[in-house]
Amino acid sequence: MIQRKLTLVMENKPGALARVVGLFHQRGYNIDSLHVDPIEDFEPFRFIEDELGIKFQVGEVSRLTIRTTVGDKLMRQILRQINKLIEVIAVSDDESTYLKGILRNENLL
Amino acid sequence: MKIAGNDILIQSLINEGVEYIFGYPGGAALHIYDSIFNQKEMQHILVRHEQGATHAADGYARATGKPGVVLVTSGPGATNAITGIATAFMDSIPMVVISGQVQSHLIGTDAFQETDMIGVSRPIVKHSFTVDKQENIAQIVKEAFHIATSGRQGPVVIDVPKDLTNPDELFDFNYPEKANIRSYNPPVKPENHQVSRAVDAILNAERPVIYAGGGTISSNASDELRELNELIDFPVTNTLMGLGVYPGTGKRFLGMLGMHGTYQANMAMHNADLIIAVGARFDDRITNTPEKFAPKAKVIHFDVDHSSVSKIIEADIAVFGQVKDSLKAINNHLRSRKDEINKEKLSPWHQQIREWKEKHGLDHELYKNDSDEHAILPQAAVQHIYQESEGKAFVTSDVGQHQMFAAQYYHFDEPRKWINSGGLGTMGFGLPSAMGVKLAYPEEEVICITGEGSIQMCIQELSTCSQYKLPIKIFNINNLALGMVKQWQDMNYDGRHSSISYEDSLPDFVGLAESYGHVGIKITKNSELKEGIAKAFAIKDKLVFVDIYVDPNEHVYPMLVAPNGSLKDMWLGKGEKT
Ligand SMILES: Cc1ncc(C[n+]2csc(CCOP(=O)(O)OP(=O)(O)O)c2C)c(N)n1
Ligand SMILES: [Mg+2]
Repeated sequence: MIQRKLTLVMENKPGALARVVGLFHQRGYNIDSLHVDPIEDFEPFRFIEDELGIKFQVGEVSRLTIRTTVGDKLMRQILRQINKLIEVIAVSDDESTYLKGILRNENLL
Repeated sequence: MKIAGNDILIQSLINEGVEYIFGYPGGAALHIYDSIFNQKEMQHILVRHEQGATHAADGYARATGKPGVVLVTSGPGATNAITGIATAFMDSIPMVVISGQVQSHLIGTDAFQETDMIGVSRPIVKHSFTVDKQENIAQIVKEAFHIATSGRQGPVVIDVPKDLTNPDELFDFNYPEKANIRSYNPPVKPENHQVSRAVDAILNAERPVIYAGGGTISSNASDELRELNELIDFPVTNTLMGLGVYPGTGKRFLGMLGMHGTYQANMAMHNADLIIAVGARFDDRITNTPEKFAPKAKVIHFDVDHSSVSKIIEADIAVFGQVKDSLKAINNHLRSRKDEINKEKLSPWHQQIREWKEKHGLDHELYKNDSDEHAILPQAAVQHIYQESEGKAFVTSDVGQHQMFAAQYYHFDEPRKWINSGGLGTMGFGLPSAMGVKLAYPEEEVICITGEGSIQMCIQELSTCSQYKLPIKIFNINNLALGMVKQWQDMNYDGRHSSISYEDSLPDFVGLAESYGHVGIKITKNSELKEGIAKAFAIKDKLVFVDIYVDPNEHVYPMLVAPNGSLKDMWLGKGEKT
């Protein structure tokens, strides 16, 4: 087991963060650390806008960073479970990214 | 035209084509109830407990494929709905639950009947919404229905603060055509190269099994599954949730698999070289010890939900997408390689399965014994119910031995006819879910096979059945105990029967049913069984409660040996193991 970093881009809506945190507890995963900020500089996320055909407005989306210590198989489960949360736009670990349901084999965030 | 928040909510539901809303009123929902009073397109069904409302909506959804809709008030109304929401969540059933909430300015003050419904329901919903302003109600309803019914389906909660349904404030109402949720995009089309890898594996298999679950039913993919089977002639087993998706009387049907699956189904899975999992999720009631699961099998997994694949059992080939689309793609692909299909190759495997079935298969002719020397066998009671209803009824069930006997001995030839709480195993589900089914299909025979323990968990709904004249047939497989618990105590606790008996406190179910205006029939002997059940089916316009006293010492077999067993390790009878 090693410590891993997860990055999420998600809608900044009431209760959205609770769903992410709740998911870790419900599924028996542990959070080592968590950091959340509204995204102000959209430059690194233009590809998401292009991909989804949308334009982010200031204050609409947040970036979350979560550190957790787990094995490979569980990491994959966590990513897939987070991907299912309706308000999550994209989630990645070191090797892969789910961009709304679609898996890419690289860390795009 | 401008209308108030309460009317926006109800008109939105009508726009969604909702015919029935199951609910129970209270303070925070009163404005909404006033809107219901003022319209005629949708009928409200007043249950006797909010759990009943959720199960009724759930039964409606399972039988029709359309979302079930529930309305409850805040606080206790909302918390009473929780069990039913969790039940729907575990089985991926589309449902929209509207809960009243205290007024916006009171939220967080411990106001009268305030519960954080969004918080309480969070782990058991697909998604939830709090209405923030009246202008958003229509959009939220649209999104809620879209989420509930797309991708892997599930329940969605909409929590509505009372002030936002105030009849005095008016707003424009336009029901949106589409739900555009930019962060939500349920998977659509299966990938071609996965489809062709799956087809290669199918063509190479010598000991294959198709293992189809509830996802095949949600995806309305029964026809595609049957087509696939026509093409390749593989044996098929169904999970408890999947029964009916392949005909229960079909030539290649192995019966249910898993904890109380048939000998041949479990043996076939254990010895398979290829398992095709279709809309099934390898839960612990199916795999037994995962490390010992089907050691020689390659696994192809069809599912709409990425997180279900390789969660418990690693899939060698994963085909993501609606199961219906994936099976269509497979079938097309197979048709184009028709000359490579070699059904002959499978005959030793079919022969092996026949031998297993002959050796330890279930006895489907127990009903022929009408001697009163022995008490009624619960299995025989189910067989009679099957005969008398000609195998065509909708059958709901509760949880326990009676549920397993129903699953083993009632053969479902069509999907959506077997309605039971597989994932959560909710006692109390049977009667209210039957109400939902009967409302959806008033002309069809709707049966609830229950136990005297389970039926008492939502027995208040007998009153609802009387109010709305729902002539369902209830068969109470009465073994005077919490039979399934007792079985575990017999097998694992040296027969120490802790808290499984009601002593002498059971009601007279016939008298109870009659007090609600229903018909009651009591059956205590084999010689009365056939006639008593036939009599119940002859009554068309009334609910009939048939209380059948069965042998209290029966166990459900086969039963997987646990812990540490594999699928080939089964109890086949008392003290008899494979
Ligand atoms: C709400 C709920 N509580 C407890 C259980 C655990 N449980 C599973 S089966 C069972 C016994 C059910 O008794 P009955 O309805 O009479 O069915 P039988 O097994 O006797 O056929 C119990 C208590 C459950 N599944 N659901
Ligand atoms: Mg019982």
